[in-house]
Amino acid sequence: MGLFNYTPADRATGRTVQIHRFRMLTGDRVFRLLSVASLVLIWQIIAGLRLLELPSPVETCRVFVDLIVNGDPLYNKTLPQIVWASLLIVIKACMLSFIVAVPLGVLMGAVEKLRRYFDSTIEMIRPIPPLAWIPLAYVLFANTGSPTEYVQIFVVFIGALFPVLLNTIHGISMVNRIHIEAARTMGASPRQVLLRVMLPGALPAIFSGIRVGFGVGWMCIVAAEFVGGKLGIGYYIWSSYSIGGRTAEIISGMVAIGIVGSLINRIILSAEKRLVPWR
Amino acid sequence: MVKKLLAAVLIIMFSAVVFFGCSGNTGKEENNGSRNQDQERLVYLTQTPPPNMLEQLKAGEIDGFIAWEPFNSTAVNNGDGKYLFTSREVWPEHPCCVLAVSDSFKDEQTVEAVTWAHIRAIRFINEAKNRDKVLEYASAFTGKDEEVVKKSLENITYVEYPAKDKFMEYYSSLVEGKLLKNTVETIGFEDSENFFASFLREDIYKKVSGELDKDAGWKPAGIKGNASLSLGYLAADLHQLALFVAEKEGYYEQVGLITGQNLETKMFSNGVAVMEAFKAADIDIAYVGGAPATLKRINDNIPIKVVAGANNEGSGLVVRSDGEIKTLADLEGRTIAVPGVGTVQYTLLDKALREQGLRPVIK
Repeated sequence: MGLFNYTPADRATGRTVQIHRFRMLTGDRVFRLLSVASLVLIWQIIAGLRLLELPSPVETCRVFVDLIVNGDPLYNKTLPQIVWASLLIVIKACMLSFIVAVPLGVLMGAVEKLRRYFDSTIEMIRPIPPLAWIPLAYVLFANTGSPTEYVQIFVVFIGALFPVLLNTIHGISMVNRIHIEAARTMGASPRQVLLRVMLPGALPAIFSGIRVGFGVGWMCIVAAEFVGGKLGIGYYIWSSYSIGGRTAEIISGMVAIGIVGSLINRIILSAEKRLVPWR
Repeated sequence: MVKKLLAAVLIIMFSAVVFFGCSGNTGKEENNGSRNQDQERLVYLTQTPPPNMLEQLKAGEIDGFIAWEPFNSTAVNNGDGKYLFTSREVWPEHPCCVLAVSDSFKDEQTVEAVTWAHIRAIRFINEAKNRDKVLEYASAFTGKDEEVVKKSLENITYVEYPAKDKFMEYYSSLVEGKLLKNTVETIGFEDSENFFASFLREDIYKKVSGELDKDAGWKPAGIKGNASLSLGYLAADLHQLALFVAEKEGYYEQVGLITGQNLETKMFSNGVAVMEAFKAADIDIAYVGGAPATLKRINDNIPIKVVAGANNEGSGLVVRSDGEIKTLADLEGRTIAVPGVGTVQYTLLDKALREQGLRPVIK
């Protein structure tokens, strides 16, 4: 794996860059907080002047904390429980789509003929919004015993599939030809070329595909739950809206979606950093 | 080092999320455990629009559902379900759909004209000699075949005005269930009595029905010259048949409202959407469920008044037809779909289950 070894000089520059960034952090952090603070301020002004019928940031914060600690008496569940129910479906569906998309993407990236075979089909299906699949999915999974859960998994699956697939294809086809040729000249078998050269080379792209895929999946579940079923975060927001007068609960739900979404993003990023050090 | 630290923090955060989820679950199980000791028996609820309920019942995902006609009769008619109760049996004369007018719509003459057309239609529906024609209209309005609507119509009572005490019963169930975020006091009323005196506006209905009782051929002045009206209703909701009948029997035309000219009918998929349209001043008068009307009137302070009733009753609990569920007590541990928390169907189910010592929980 000499190709991906860092020289001592590289490491040194990497370090200096990091130290430099660390020093920047204090100024940077203030600047970042400023953005949040101004958002809250605008919100406070709008709510305070009753320009829109919004609960104040403080009130929303109180409801948010209350939902996490005590839960919603109407549903007898806490916000983390509600979010977890949705997250579980997203995790299941995304795993499924990664299992399908990564091998397929690697094959399509590596074998030109396969790629041309699948290309037109994928390009036709890809622009269909995942949510447009819901009615058809209900018909398809009508006999499965619990169509609602399958429909939700399916919708998230569709949403997460294409970012991963396209990124994998792209990553594989962007692997430096010279590296492949070099490995071949040195007597590597096709299997070795695939596993030792192409896959490591494409891994950064696959990871960003997974990151985007998870993000899209997380968005899809919220919308898919609007159709109904078991209690999840999308369901919770929609139900709060139907009852009315529960804007603070709606915003709390949205904040929870945002927090979990960015958390997922960061977890995958850090996993990527550890698993793909050569990036 | 910084990277590793960051990774460690993130992993801890992730496990915290996982832990929260898991500990939450175990917490629930513990609760269930202690409740079992108190002999508390649970029924699980899911929430979904009625068309989905039919599919879910067929697939076996739910053991039953509570919805309004014609969905109940549809499930019974195609063999997937049977009635466990109709809403008449659980809560006689409970309010359902009403005719409501926005407070910002000041054209009293038009309100009177529409109320007149509505009451004529209700009387037409209730007249025994019109039976066949009503069936035909009901079938055309809902797109269901006559056998289904025939069964449906048996469960619906078409009324001219809902009972105030039943409305207040529904209101107290909302208060008990903690569904109200606002109180009647915060939206400017002294108490609930005062609120309902304003919310259920009976004067127009009383005048119109009084005149019609004296002389069946009585007609109001009709609309003013260039007045126009935007009228909302729910898609294929058999409870709101009066709208279709008034249109087909020409009652709107008789008071000068002509569809496509000065009468615009707007179709909605649920009561919440109708209430939002009221808020946006998109409609002036609408047929809407009494439940979303009351909930949104109070919670979102959307100013409307009920000028007439459309129907009482007309909902029911349908369970799988495999014969396993024979009584309400058999619902223990089963999953029932409701159209939404705070709907009149939810209130009905809640009432029926509690009378049996069962407790509904959201799944």
